[in-house]
Amino acid sequence: MFGNTQIGTLLHEEHVRTIQALQSLEEYLLKQTSKRVPDVTSDKVRELLEHLLSDVAAEVERHFGFEEGFLFPVLASQGEMGIAAFLTEEHGCILPLAQELAATAREALNGAGFTPEGWKDFHHRGVELCEREIFHIQKEEMGLLAAISMFVGPEADAELAVKYRESVAA
Amino acid sequence: MLFGDFMMGARSRLLPMSIPLRFFGAAVLFHMAAWGLLLGYADDAPGFMGGLSHLLASLHFVTLGVLAMTGMGAAFQLLPVATKKPVRSEAACKAAFWLMVLGLLALGHGMGHGDYAVLALGGTLVVLALGLFGLLVADNLRRVKDMRVVTDQAWISLGFLALLLILAALLVADYALGGFLPDHQAVALAHGVVAAYGFMGLLAMGFSFILVPMFCLAPPPDVKLGRWAGWLAGIAVLLAMAGLIHGIKPLVLLGGLLGLIACGLHLRAMAKVMKGRMRKQLGDSFRLIRLAWVLMPSSIIVGLLAALGVAPDRTGPLFGFLLVFGWLLTFLLGILQRILPFLASMHSVRPGVKPALVSALTADKPLRLHLVFHVLALALVSAGLVGQVGLLVRLGAACGLIGAVSYALSAAHVVYVLRKHLSNLSQHSEK
Repeated sequence: MFGNTQIGTLLHEEHVRTIQALQSLEEYLLKQTSKRVPDVTSDKVRELLEHLLSDVAAEVERHFGFEEGFLFPVLASQGEMGIAAFLTEEHGCILPLAQELAATAREALNGAGFTPEGWKDFHHRGVELCEREIFHIQKEEMGLLAAISMFVGPEADAELAVKYRESVAA
Repeated sequence: MLFGDFMMGARSRLLPMSIPLRFFGAAVLFHMAAWGLLLGYADDAPGFMGGLSHLLASLHFVTLGVLAMTGMGAAFQLLPVATKKPVRSEAACKAAFWLMVLGLLALGHGMGHGDYAVLALGGTLVVLALGLFGLLVADNLRRVKDMRVVTDQAWISLGFLALLLILAALLVADYALGGFLPDHQAVALAHGVVAAYGFMGLLAMGFSFILVPMFCLAPPPDVKLGRWAGWLAGIAVLLAMAGLIHGIKPLVLLGGLLGLIACGLHLRAMAKVMKGRMRKQLGDSFRLIRLAWVLMPSSIIVGLLAALGVAPDRTGPLFGFLLVFGWLLTFLLGILQRILPFLASMHSVRPGVKPALVSALTADKPLRLHLVFHVLALALVSAGLVGQVGLLVRLGAACGLIGAVSYALSAAHVVYVLRKHLSNLSQHSEK
């Protein structure tokens, strides 16, 4: 479905990585429960929180930014405005959540740790982020990538792939 | 854009939630009624070979009340989204629902009490309901040019629906008019095979190609394999039906063997989907779906044993039970417990507001309870039918009923959470 465009393949590969990271986070959160406050000095917890900062929050921000800044205008120019509007609306719901969680994780890593109430809130919002982002990726995998294969021509595809690689390298 | 359109077009082509919900709600109620009837008349189940009885009513509460009802709700809701063509008339969907509910209640009464007049009335209403459903779906499919794997299987399924309605009308008329069919039981058996494998089975196989990849976040299924499976299954059902009606055993066996091959192709396509999935944790719904995939060929194998004359008083009833309560019911319940929160979440979307989470709409504990009791019910009733022990069937039916009540609680939870979410939104917007 996405294999006939470079940008579709690149976005799919990023989805796979994000889903893996989200599934690890979700698994940890469900195992830890909202009642047991984790020890942020433990290597495992630090690794997970750093993972959340780098692989989830940052990637989500960059991924959404790329789609809204470069990809959606190409689709809109082909008359496919509905997809862009729908996904942008979801971005507006997921990105603040990811950013808030990243800020809390950063504070915890910088020595503040988690209070029982703080952990409960972090846990609740973490599970919510995993669910909303996985559901969102589900829609992108089944809708957006199909739209790309239909509406993005070879020239636009090559340009988008260059811009995507630049955004990753930046 | 087969799967893409499904997701991206979903919101704009969703029917009002009340339409699919009434079908799913009725299915949940008939589910309890079916196990309840089996519990009440469990002693008659070992050696049951058909004929007007409360057991026949129980069987029809599953096939028509749960399976067809869910199929109708799902088709009215999901097919227009998948095919990008709206349903022609919402009023016709509602009419089909009421005809089906009233018809099924009358049919159940007529079967249970041997009341031919009520049986004929119920049968007529059900035929009208399913006929209307068939016309609405055919009208939708007629306007679709792509999605061959789904539309192929849906067309074959609709063909069998027409055949099923003719056979059902013949059977009811045979009771009401005093027995003009040369072999009522053979026609009844053929009607069962056409209904379960032909109509419901192919509908379930077709929807699997949309829903399974969607729920487990997998690449599109192997369309070629799916189309082969659909056509082969269609030929298999026709052969088995002809063999049963005319008493030609080799045709029945050939139909069974081709059915097994079709089933293998379908399961191969599903296995490829599961292997390529990105979502690893699939939950209890997929435990039911996987169990159903095991029971699908199992029912054919037991059916073949019955056709070969291997302990037919044991394998015959077991065949019917594995086919209807085993494969089809288990599969539908697995799918329905994913569809309900998914649709409710889609219906909770309002501009600028977070939609309700699928996890918040899912009642895990009642669903886990249902899983345990449903599996226990299948095992106990199967053992009771093979060992011809009415007590085991009774125990199994009691487990099935507990499971069905748990399932109903989980469905009520979806409605409760959605209403609460929407009511909070309206209060919020009023402020």
